[in-house]
Amino acid sequence: MSELLQLGRQNPRPHAPKPEDLSLRFGPNAIEELTNLQAHYPDKKSCILPGLWIAQREYGGTLTGDAIAEVAFRLERSYVEVEGVATFYSMYNTNHAVGKHMIEVCTCLTCQVCGAYPIGEYLKKQLGVDYGETTPDGVFTLHEVECLNACDRAPLLQVGDQYHGPVDTAYVDRLLNDLRAQESSSVVQLADSIVQVHLANFEKAGSPKPSRPTPAPQTESRSRVKVDDSA
Amino acid sequence: MAELKLLFKHAHDEAYRTLDGYLANGGYVALDRALGMERQQIIDEVKASGLRGRGGAGFPTWIKWNGLAKDKVKRHYVVCNADEGEPGTFKDKQLMEETPFLLIEGMTLAGLATQGDAGYIYIRGEFVDAAKALRSAIDEAYARGYLGPNIRGSGKSFDLYIHMGAGSYECGEESALMSSLMGERGMPRLKFPHAPLPTVEGLWDSPTLINNVETYCCAPFIIEKGGEWYATLGASTKNSRGTKIFSVSGHVNNPGNFEIEFGTTLSELLEMSGGIKGGKLKACVPGGSSVPIINAEAVEKAVIGYEEMADVQSMVGSGGCMFLNDQTCIVKFIWRTALFYANESCGKCTPCREGTKWMLQILERIVAGNGQPGDMELLLDITKQIDGRSFCGLGDAAAWPVAAALRVFPEEFEYYIQHGRSMVESELQLTPS
Repeated sequence: MSELLQLGRQNPRPHAPKPEDLSLRFGPNAIEELTNLQAHYPDKKSCILPGLWIAQREYGGTLTGDAIAEVAFRLERSYVEVEGVATFYSMYNTNHAVGKHMIEVCTCLTCQVCGAYPIGEYLKKQLGVDYGETTPDGVFTLHEVECLNACDRAPLLQVGDQYHGPVDTAYVDRLLNDLRAQESSSVVQLADSIVQVHLANFEKAGSPKPSRPTPAPQTESRSRVKVDDSA
Repeated sequence: MAELKLLFKHAHDEAYRTLDGYLANGGYVALDRALGMERQQIIDEVKASGLRGRGGAGFPTWIKWNGLAKDKVKRHYVVCNADEGEPGTFKDKQLMEETPFLLIEGMTLAGLATQGDAGYIYIRGEFVDAAKALRSAIDEAYARGYLGPNIRGSGKSFDLYIHMGAGSYECGEESALMSSLMGERGMPRLKFPHAPLPTVEGLWDSPTLINNVETYCCAPFIIEKGGEWYATLGASTKNSRGTKIFSVSGHVNNPGNFEIEFGTTLSELLEMSGGIKGGKLKACVPGGSSVPIINAEAVEKAVIGYEEMADVQSMVGSGGCMFLNDQTCIVKFIWRTALFYANESCGKCTPCREGTKWMLQILERIVAGNGQPGDMELLLDITKQIDGRSFCGLGDAAAWPVAAALRVFPEEFEYYIQHGRSMVESELQLTPS
């Protein structure tokens, strides 16, 4: 059972690009976001975490060596410093490709006792992959995660920035079908850092206000989310 | 006692998430009151209220608020710990999503009391919905002059920023949270008395106040109705005042957040959450995965209060209450707890980094049916090597549940080691097959 120690997202070391190979991919919005974020903190170093969120979005869900190098370049920090931060946190996908949708199965305590392991195994069987792997068609990446802190909805799955729970095998089937039919990727949703950007900064700078995502309709956490049978 | 909704009174009201709805339901009365008060008066009210930190440690809140320099030399920061990661807890998530203005007002009050210039809300990366709700609330508060350079025309300023975490349980520890906010790996720092308290040297070496979401959310009620009024709640307990939100999950019929007055019993809480399902009550982890597990007998006796819970050798913790039925194998449950801490140990100090892995390896071999005589003693010995010897509380938190389970359910461990299988025969699958 020693492979259980391998649980969780492995963060392999990304490959640093040579300086002459560095190509910058941040779009104008991302650059503006990062500039505005710098007004939140007294130094540029503090922008590393938000900067990495932006980079993960701009690079399509994966923090490659190039992405880390770009953050380091824009924040005037060393590559290793930013890499060291990026590899510490489990939500940064350093150097492992992620599919269009990332499904994360919580197997921590409440989910464990509410039947998360069978759900995880069902997902593995349906997708034909193990935890940490991506399906050959590049649509799904499956991960096992620690507590997502919505234990009233156990067993719980996270897809992009959405929580799904309580789930059973029928729910999983419907969810996979819905995701297969969905055109947009749910991976970068999670990396959307616009919530961090301060509206006041935009007003000060005289630039147009960013369009804010409207808060998703919130389900009362007291009433457990019902599986929509019509879906 | 029944539920007592103070923070959650308007939680299910959609309008309460907008500034107008908040104002219509008594919002910002406390701020207007506080703007006419001296700084020390605000702190005195908090002192009179007997409010203690809701994040888990139960440290008196007023001491923190009082700890920031009175003669301001540097900028002062007010930080909200919204990195809710304790397994079993989900109260901060609901507070941020449904009562965002309570948090904003509470932090503004803390800013007034401590001469804070700027506030940061450190939200765990997964809580996108909570961040969105707070984002729109903060924008609205800025637009209407409840935040910013001139709060309500008083000339006092307070800025509030959101900082998203990126997936690390360790960042819920205050010094690790500050490291993470400053763009570093989320690892803890040396603590008092070896290093200054955060209230003296915190973020960017400036005085910093850090409290939990729920703690800040209590502040508006204390300032509005007075500390003495707040202290009447929970007066039946020794030294716990006010209300506490418990996140009830596990084998119960109606899991969710329940706000109760201190002095309520644990069995009343179980009743509120619809009672146990799928069997009889076997065990309870009353305050999040870090606190010692207790058996059904102790649940009967337990009264919720910081000191009262010590009578049943457990803690209030962060309020993540997990009830387990008799179909649950405690050995496997504790194995999963150990796995959580082994995964989340940041790796900075040896007792925690090595100890959590050793505990896990021993529990793994027991669960796999290869337990050896003496494993229980070995486990207990490791817990003693970690407890109190690690850099931060994560090590202690990893050791307590294991030690408690060995104390409360020794027969299950003995049986498992002796027979190579669980004492509990049930269809509940608690390990990967």
